[in-house]
Amino acid sequence: MAALTWDMAPARAPTPIPAPAPAPAPAPTPAPAPAPAPTPAPAPAPAPTPAPAPTRELELTPASAWSQGGGGSYGDVSVPTLLRLRDRMKEQLAEYETAILAGQENLFGHGIEENFIQSATQDLERDIEEAKVSFQNKMLALQRIQIMDALRNKFKQDDEDSRMILETMKHIVLLSRTIIDYQQQVHQKEEQLINLKRERLSLKKRGGEKLQQIPTMMKRQKEKQASVNVIETEKMLKKLEKERQIITIIKNVFQNVIIGSRVNWAEDTSLKAIVLQLEKNVHFQ
Amino acid sequence: MAVLRPFDKLPKLNSGVLLFVGSDEELQRRLAETILQEKKDFNINIHLATSLPLPSERDHLRPRIDLVVFMIDIKSKYSLKNVETSLAYVDASYFLGKVCFLVTGVGRKNDCSIETNAVCKLGEAYCSPVLFCELELEGVRVATAQRLVRMLGICAGHIPGVSALSFVSLMRKSNDD
Repeated sequence: MAALTWDMAPARAPTPIPAPAPAPAPAPTPAPAPAPAPTPAPAPAPAPTPAPAPTRELELTPASAWSQGGGGSYGDVSVPTLLRLRDRMKEQLAEYETAILAGQENLFGHGIEENFIQSATQDLERDIEEAKVSFQNKMLALQRIQIMDALRNKFKQDDEDSRMILETMKHIVLLSRTIIDYQQQVHQKEEQLINLKRERLSLKKRGGEKLQQIPTMMKRQKEKQASVNVIETEKMLKKLEKERQIITIIKNVFQNVIIGSRVNWAEDTSLKAIVLQLEKNVHFQ
Repeated sequence: MAVLRPFDKLPKLNSGVLLFVGSDEELQRRLAETILQEKKDFNINIHLATSLPLPSERDHLRPRIDLVVFMIDIKSKYSLKNVETSLAYVDASYFLGKVCFLVTGVGRKNDCSIETNAVCKLGEAYCSPVLFCELELEGVRVATAQRLVRMLGICAGHIPGVSALSFVSLMRKSNDD
């Protein structure tokens, strides 16, 4: 297999940056050892070994055109480039630190249940969402502030555009005021409607209650009358009883008077009729 | 060792390393060429492989791999099986954003042997983004190359403040839970 080399230049930097810096990568690049040599031959292109037949690995590397920069193997050492490299290395350092931290935490992983991990991930996801939302809100607020500031600056230059903007804004204010007025009216009408409905509802309720009360009251009246009837009849019966007793007493007295007077009542027909009548018991008719 | 680990080696200065794993070598080569023609401000090394594990003879020569792209051809089931078996040789910490699934050949609908559902489930199971592309078309290839260059930049730690972990959180659908 031929070694693959590709001649091309990274188009951005005018003088490109040498790829394998010997300083920060001490161990794992012994093969590109001829790299820092001034010859721009791309070192890391040894013949790819297809030793195990199913998995083959090829490597494509662009030959950074050091020749374009002319000579020096260290290429571009301008301050922005160095700052950019510094930022990148910081970011990579942060990544490694995170990886180490993650690796350390796994030591206590035996005792941790899956539920704990799940709840922890849910909490973290919620935090992420909240952070996103708050960030978006802040961005929105910031952009609004920026727009207002730009508008204010624009107004300070008093030209055609700003006058048009001012007119538009006044129109907007007018429309908003009318909208607010209409909304207040709508609100009032709705409140009136609600009051009417409430009254209607209470009326209905009361009507229902009255309707329910009617049969109960009728029942009560009937009962009253019945009881009144009963009381009257009882009174009458009592009176009747009394009268009977009085009559019986009078009768007995009369009988005894006649007997005691030793008159022969059997001879006189009218006396006979009276005594016989007195014998009759007063009974109910 | 057989398993790829992300943090075993030190990174090279100002460079990013991409590894393609897939059964179609010609496509890999073309995509690699397109990537190398992109405008970028760091050096890119591209390794091509048909499957994992990588041959261990060149282990010491290989730099730290920043992004692993598994290429699945939608017309061949063998590529999907190949990728699935290769996934076992990647360390779990790679799946925090340093792995991407690239599905090629989606331009032709009547030749599909793999369902997109299966690929999407694979992507969800491994928490990695799934990109669909058609490498025969020039424009799509260039666009895919640009995306991969951007992702490589983030995974290699070149963009301050953005790490590969953000791919995982950006992939959550909003109608989950």
